[in-house]
Amino acid sequence: MRNATAVPATTGAAQGVRKPQSQFQVAWRQFRKHRLAQFGGIFLILLYVMALLAPFLAPYSLSSYSTENITKFAPPTVVHFRDESGAFTRPYVYGFKQELNLNTFVNEYKPDPTQKYPIHFFVKGAPYKILGFIPGNIHLYGVEDPGNVYLVGADGFGRDLFTRILYASQISLTIGVGSVLISTVIGLTMGALAAYFGGWVDNVIMRVVEVIASIPYLFLVILLRAMFPTNINPIFALYVIIGLLAFISWGGLARVVRGQLLSVREMDYVAAATSLGATDRRIIFRHMLPALSTYLIVTISLAIPFQILAESGLSFLGIGAVEPYASWGSLLAQAQEGGFSSITDRPWVLIPGFFIVLTVMCFQLLGDGLRDAFDPRKRQ
Amino acid sequence: MLPFLLRRLVNSIPTVIGATILIFFIIQLAPGDFLTSQLLNPNISKEQIDNLRRNFGLDQPLIVQYFYWVKNLLQGDLGLSFAYQQPVLNVVAPRVLNSLYLVLFSTLVFYVIAIPLGVYGAVRQYSIGDKITSTLMYFLLGFPSFFLALIVIYFILQIRFATGWDIPVGGMTSQNYDDLSTLGKFLDVLKHVAIPAVVLAIGDVAGTTRVLRGQMLENLNADYIRTARAKGVSEFKVVYKHTFRNAIIPFIAGIGGLLPALISGAGFTEVVFSYPGITPMLLDALNSQDLYVIAGFSLVGILLLIIGNAVSDILLSVVDPRIRYA
Repeated sequence: MRNATAVPATTGAAQGVRKPQSQFQVAWRQFRKHRLAQFGGIFLILLYVMALLAPFLAPYSLSSYSTENITKFAPPTVVHFRDESGAFTRPYVYGFKQELNLNTFVNEYKPDPTQKYPIHFFVKGAPYKILGFIPGNIHLYGVEDPGNVYLVGADGFGRDLFTRILYASQISLTIGVGSVLISTVIGLTMGALAAYFGGWVDNVIMRVVEVIASIPYLFLVILLRAMFPTNINPIFALYVIIGLLAFISWGGLARVVRGQLLSVREMDYVAAATSLGATDRRIIFRHMLPALSTYLIVTISLAIPFQILAESGLSFLGIGAVEPYASWGSLLAQAQEGGFSSITDRPWVLIPGFFIVLTVMCFQLLGDGLRDAFDPRKRQ
Repeated sequence: MLPFLLRRLVNSIPTVIGATILIFFIIQLAPGDFLTSQLLNPNISKEQIDNLRRNFGLDQPLIVQYFYWVKNLLQGDLGLSFAYQQPVLNVVAPRVLNSLYLVLFSTLVFYVIAIPLGVYGAVRQYSIGDKITSTLMYFLLGFPSFFLALIVIYFILQIRFATGWDIPVGGMTSQNYDDLSTLGKFLDVLKHVAIPAVVLAIGDVAGTTRVLRGQMLENLNADYIRTARAKGVSEFKVVYKHTFRNAIIPFIAGIGGLLPALISGAGFTEVVFSYPGITPMLLDALNSQDLYVIAGFSLVGILLLIIGNAVSDILLSVVDPRIRYA
């Protein structure tokens, strides 16, 4: 109680200097001092804008490939900025011709200097709909038809890998976030139910949490995935994977929420609210849950990178995003096609992985920054 | 100690029962039972299948079937694999052993890397070495384990092409494995396990090193360390006997979950290195809807968790004399 009387005195003195700040204003000021976290946040915004505008940024559509001009695993196209005489010109690419290497009996792609395709910007191409309703057919760049521009090579069906990485970002960046949001809602509800009702409800919920935690994570996912046929609709498969990831990860949160609510329930301010005649609902939503808000923000921001990694892993194993859809994880699965030696022949199939690393690192920087910003011991 | 372990064991029974119920009902929800695949077999008539159904108790209500299943589990019968036409235990056991080799070896490598790095980071805080390892670890945290494995394979293959050394990057044994002597067989497996184990260890090192460094820092600033230094204890003893022993307590408490977590985490590495461990078979089982194999592996996972928890309790009492199991 001695502390409680001391606190108003100091804030009263501070009021003369500057306005009182809410908890979030303080956290925001702290966050503004955290360079790396801001860097992570800005990069994430860029990544999400990239995902949103993927159909425009990509020169092709998600699964366009040519049936007459097979470009299976074509290497990255070299973009030339100088013409034969060495003078700068509009960027252009050469066409391909394929030659059979008589030593290895593998088709090799050779640039064909006789065919020159200048790169045009804002060209008309495959129609698309941004967010599913804004139609368009303008692409940031592209070349005329028989020519191909593969900035980072082509995949096993001869589809432009850069296009697929851009489209894959839509899935990779949403599934993790979506599953975290769902698992947060489940965790909050279950934790609150357990804390509020106690007794057998508490017992059952906590036992379920223990059971989920007792089966190793990957085994549980595979076990749950076995409930659905292997050849389900690709769109439905995406929802399944969001649901699975949410289902296996709400336990920890529910446990913490329950514990926090139980301890908050004994706090003086809750007792005060009760004695003033506040309803249960008001106490829960106005007094008890806000005590959890900082914890939630930090947990969510650190759970998202974990779930993005999990999604990429499942897609890599073929139980996440499946054709025709792609995620960064399922794009990496190509690196395994055709045995080990194939990686050395086409190292560009590893590129999607760096997008995973970048995204996860940005989320981690942001999460660490938020954690520090909300932590009173780390105030500067 | 023994009564305590027994009590822990009894306490874990409800969880195990809950887990078996979960596993059983997931299997029931999955499309088809293990005779569905036989419907297409022209050698077996519909009547025979109905007979088999009755013999296996598949015409009974779900609850009865559950108890049949548990009764069989208790007798060590995990059911029949449809794909292999063999008892699940025979199919699963060698794979579990293979995974355990990999995981145990990688745990060893893991501690050999993580402990010195964490201790160094704390003792020489903000030195150039600490900054480099911290940044590197942060970077590593973002790497999915399979991506790390793919990159390592890429570089190993480049080395192999450049030097002609025969570095194994897949499988668990060489082609001439059967002709080797016992020692040769051991070395051959070791050679194959080494690279996946190191990759697996490096992938996991990042998180642990960071936490260990934090724990060490917290303890290094404690009063009892100042006391130890004041009375002239050597710096080595201060770091390793006083600080380190306290810093690793939370890790030892977490060993229980480590074994199953590692086995499930090793899955990606196993797939990339086509190592004959649990996960590649689990994925095959998923594709062929071989449900009892999936259930069998999950049960093994639960068993490992219980064993791991017991091990961690024993280790905790060894490291932390304050813990008494009365």
